[in-house]
Amino acid sequence: MLRRLNEKERFTPFLLLGPALLLMLLIVAYPLFQALRLSLFDASLLRPDRARFVGLTNYLNVLRDPLFLRSLLNSTIWVVGCVTLQFTIGMLGALLLNREFPGRGLVRGLSLIPWATSGVLVSLMWTWMLDGNYGVINDILVRLGLISQYRPWLALPISLGGVIAANVWQGAPFFAVMLLAAMQSVPQELYEAARIDGAGRFQQFRSVTIPLIMPTIVITTMLRIVWTANYMDLVFVMTGGGPGNASIILPVLSYITAYKKLKVGEATAMAVLQAILLIITLFVYLRLVNRKGEGGLSLYEV
Amino acid sequence: MRKSSVALTVVALVLFLLASTAAAKTRVTYWLWLDDPTDTTVQELVEEFNRLHPDIEVVTETIPLANYYDQLLMAISGGGGPDAARFKDWWLGAFYDADLLEDLSPYIANWPGADDVVPNLWNTGMIPGVDGIFMLPHQYITFYLYYRADWFAEAGLNPPRTFDEFLEAALKLTDPANNRYGFGLRGGAGGQDQWLAFMVAGGARIVDEAGNIVINSPKAVEVNQWYIDLYRKHQVAPPSAPTDAYAQVVGAFQAGNTAMMAHHVGSSVMMTDVFGDNVGVLPIPAADPENPATMGTMSGNVVFSTSDVKDAAFKFISWLSEHEAMDKWSKSRQGQLPVLQSVAEQDYYTQNEFFRVSLEGGNYAIVWPPLPGTGYVASYVWQNTMQRALLGEITSQQMLDEIAKALREGN
Amino acid sequence: MRYKRVKEFLLLWIPIALWLTFVLFPYVWMFLTSLKEPSELYTSPIQYLPKKPTFAGYKLLMETTKFPQFILNSLLVVGGTLLVTGTVSTAAAYCFSRFDFRGKGKLFGMFLVTQMFPSVLLVFSLFLIMRTLGLLNTRLALIVAHSTFALPFTTWLLTGFFNSIPKSLDEAATIDGATRWQTFWYVLAPLSAPGVVAALTYVFIYSWNEFIYALTFTSSIDMRTVPVGLNTFMGEYIIRWDLLTAGGVITAIPIVIFFMLVQRRLVQGLTAGAVKG
Repeated sequence: MLRRLNEKERFTPFLLLGPALLLMLLIVAYPLFQALRLSLFDASLLRPDRARFVGLTNYLNVLRDPLFLRSLLNSTIWVVGCVTLQFTIGMLGALLLNREFPGRGLVRGLSLIPWATSGVLVSLMWTWMLDGNYGVINDILVRLGLISQYRPWLALPISLGGVIAANVWQGAPFFAVMLLAAMQSVPQELYEAARIDGAGRFQQFRSVTIPLIMPTIVITTMLRIVWTANYMDLVFVMTGGGPGNASIILPVLSYITAYKKLKVGEATAMAVLQAILLIITLFVYLRLVNRKGEGGLSLYEV
Repeated sequence: MRKSSVALTVVALVLFLLASTAAAKTRVTYWLWLDDPTDTTVQELVEEFNRLHPDIEVVTETIPLANYYDQLLMAISGGGGPDAARFKDWWLGAFYDADLLEDLSPYIANWPGADDVVPNLWNTGMIPGVDGIFMLPHQYITFYLYYRADWFAEAGLNPPRTFDEFLEAALKLTDPANNRYGFGLRGGAGGQDQWLAFMVAGGARIVDEAGNIVINSPKAVEVNQWYIDLYRKHQVAPPSAPTDAYAQVVGAFQAGNTAMMAHHVGSSVMMTDVFGDNVGVLPIPAADPENPATMGTMSGNVVFSTSDVKDAAFKFISWLSEHEAMDKWSKSRQGQLPVLQSVAEQDYYTQNEFFRVSLEGGNYAIVWPPLPGTGYVASYVWQNTMQRALLGEITSQQMLDEIAKALREGN
Repeated sequence: MRYKRVKEFLLLWIPIALWLTFVLFPYVWMFLTSLKEPSELYTSPIQYLPKKPTFAGYKLLMETTKFPQFILNSLLVVGGTLLVTGTVSTAAAYCFSRFDFRGKGKLFGMFLVTQMFPSVLLVFSLFLIMRTLGLLNTRLALIVAHSTFALPFTTWLLTGFFNSIPKSLDEAATIDGATRWQTFWYVLAPLSAPGVVAALTYVFIYSWNEFIYALTFTSSIDMRTVPVGLNTFMGEYIIRWDLLTAGGVITAIPIVIFFMLVQRRLVQGLTAGAVKG
């Protein structure tokens, strides 16, 4: 039961929340409003004061542009590929780290290092490993007999795959730790009960672990979908969207439109469209998940 | 306090303030890129200038060429940015359009060094139809071809003079099993210059005499297709060609993976260091030997209209284009062709094979026209469309149509 | 009997070895590369271990490049961000946890919705705002931007933590005569220490690694943070992988150190309270 607010304290919540709200208003809300406004103008980066009002033309041009649709497709491949692989590997990692063994603490600590690494550094490491002439990944793949010749991975039409590999490495530990945390709060007795009932390890996993960590799974995948969709550092540094448009994802296209094409209004329209699509995707995702029976999970109740 | 000591203190203070403001240096920020970041020549030149001109302090920032245009744009549009910068003729149109370049002709009129500049090079800093000079010429290059003289001798081949000979030699010298390719085609950043060299050598042009954009004419489409076929059809270029930029192309040539490489005199010192007599130089082969052509580009210096210290900035950039500084820069590890007659006459340049071929090329070199869209094409569109064409996603015609559109519209 | 034990041993330690290889291999490879001379780098077939390890690359970098300045800038930005985010989000989280008021749910939700927007959407408008405020090319601009964007997740984490501390403790303290501030400082704060560490680590990692805003708001080399400096460095030394990897190692050191210091608390913190759905 919370204390009732007395006269003296009527303003305390606002004082406490004030700074946060102020920052959000100034740095998020106001720029957001400005951006929405800018998306209705034809503006050049070099001379934003010479902008012309064009209404929804930017949006129409963007939606009609095959390049936008291509980047949308790439973004979908990017998000789906990264999140599913990160989740799978992360889950395996969590299961592993959940077991008892000496040095577990150290291994857990080391496991988070990829996630703590900057996107630029990840790009550097993986560009080198994927190098067409001296890349160690080429060497390993040849030794394993999977390819016959070195390939310049980031210069091929499937360059996005190379970037996905880098992102999976960087992001799997996030899932590993979050899922591990959830697993740790599953009461042991439930496993006992399942074992007594004759359930094998896999059965226990399916019927005890999964249902109980489902809220965490939903939340972390949701967060990860959002972050990945907006994450442009890796693609930007590793391929720049290339070769050609092979690996271009939405945020990178938006950046290029602003800083190379110099059309800031159009770039902002693209970003707005992306935000809208993301929000729709999340609502759909939550609906799907809720329908499966978990019920009652909304954005506000996390 | 007695009145006289107060007065004395005030006088002392005023004198002190005057002295400190008089001694305060004018700060000039100068941006540049370096092909070889370990070369100290520019730093030495800047220090010398600062020593000779105690009232000016030049401070430099080095930005890699691949990011140069973007960073410059971001800085200037942010209200900051340098006072002066090393600049490419590619970007002249876009910056002029946005009124960001200071017209230097009043300064040049009073600059004694102006007479020493090779007369027809002033054009590279001018905009057709507009009075004024917006870029001070400094170093320029024309493209030529390096080739492995030892490989050619071994295979009994003559250095190629025509497109057909070029292709024949490339095919003969390509051996993928041993990681050897005929030509280091550059599809990545900055590759538009050598592409243009081959395009004009093949008979295509960007604009005709009237100034109309003809980069997508049938002739150009044909030559472009020939260039694309080098990679797609004949496979005489390494598999990584679509994304290879300068470092990769040079690295491959130096590692003995390619037989020929297009570049310019800026890399000649490095090449002779690595190869000695095993590297030779040729003009870019021409489709029609009667009408050779190659591509030329000027790296000059500009002063931005947003600068507060234009006089001092011009003083610095004009000093760079005077005899001694010019000579020192041109003789450095990344030196290019000097724009001054007094410098170019020296034996060092006339006796050097690489400089000689470059200067000869100057007689028929074509430059990128200063259209509003040239900067955009040079920093993005060319690379994007070239890569898609090399990967087979678009045709030669489509690539050139996109470039024509970008040149015309500026975005 | 022995067979079973050997089997169990292998079933445990092989996966662990594989996992550690997955996690650490890129770093190990980067480090090995940084020790090689150029002649050992560009060989075919690839040499795995350096025959003549050398630190020449590191020496060259520390002497001629501005890496120390980049690290200093990043430390300053991160320090400022930790300070601002720490105080602001703690206050906000306390408010969300301990007070009830109209629109609380919606406000909280709004905080999270801001995570949806790609940085590219806001970067240009923010660029203009920073320009108007005269903050372009300053570390303060980054502190402000990073703090704001780290707020939602941090607030959410801390709110969860505060929520997991029973309000009865608050009441007990109040009955004993404690003011709200004292209750917070002596009761809530110590109990939520792991959560605070988790939140601050998140902020540290986010701010240290942030790239797009750092790239857009700074233009001079003296102001660059580590990611931006590394990116420019990659552009300059483009195929000198010996120098590039040495630079990579240099930039990785601060965060790895920090990380090893806090990792135990961090995992504890994430394990303890954040994921109570």
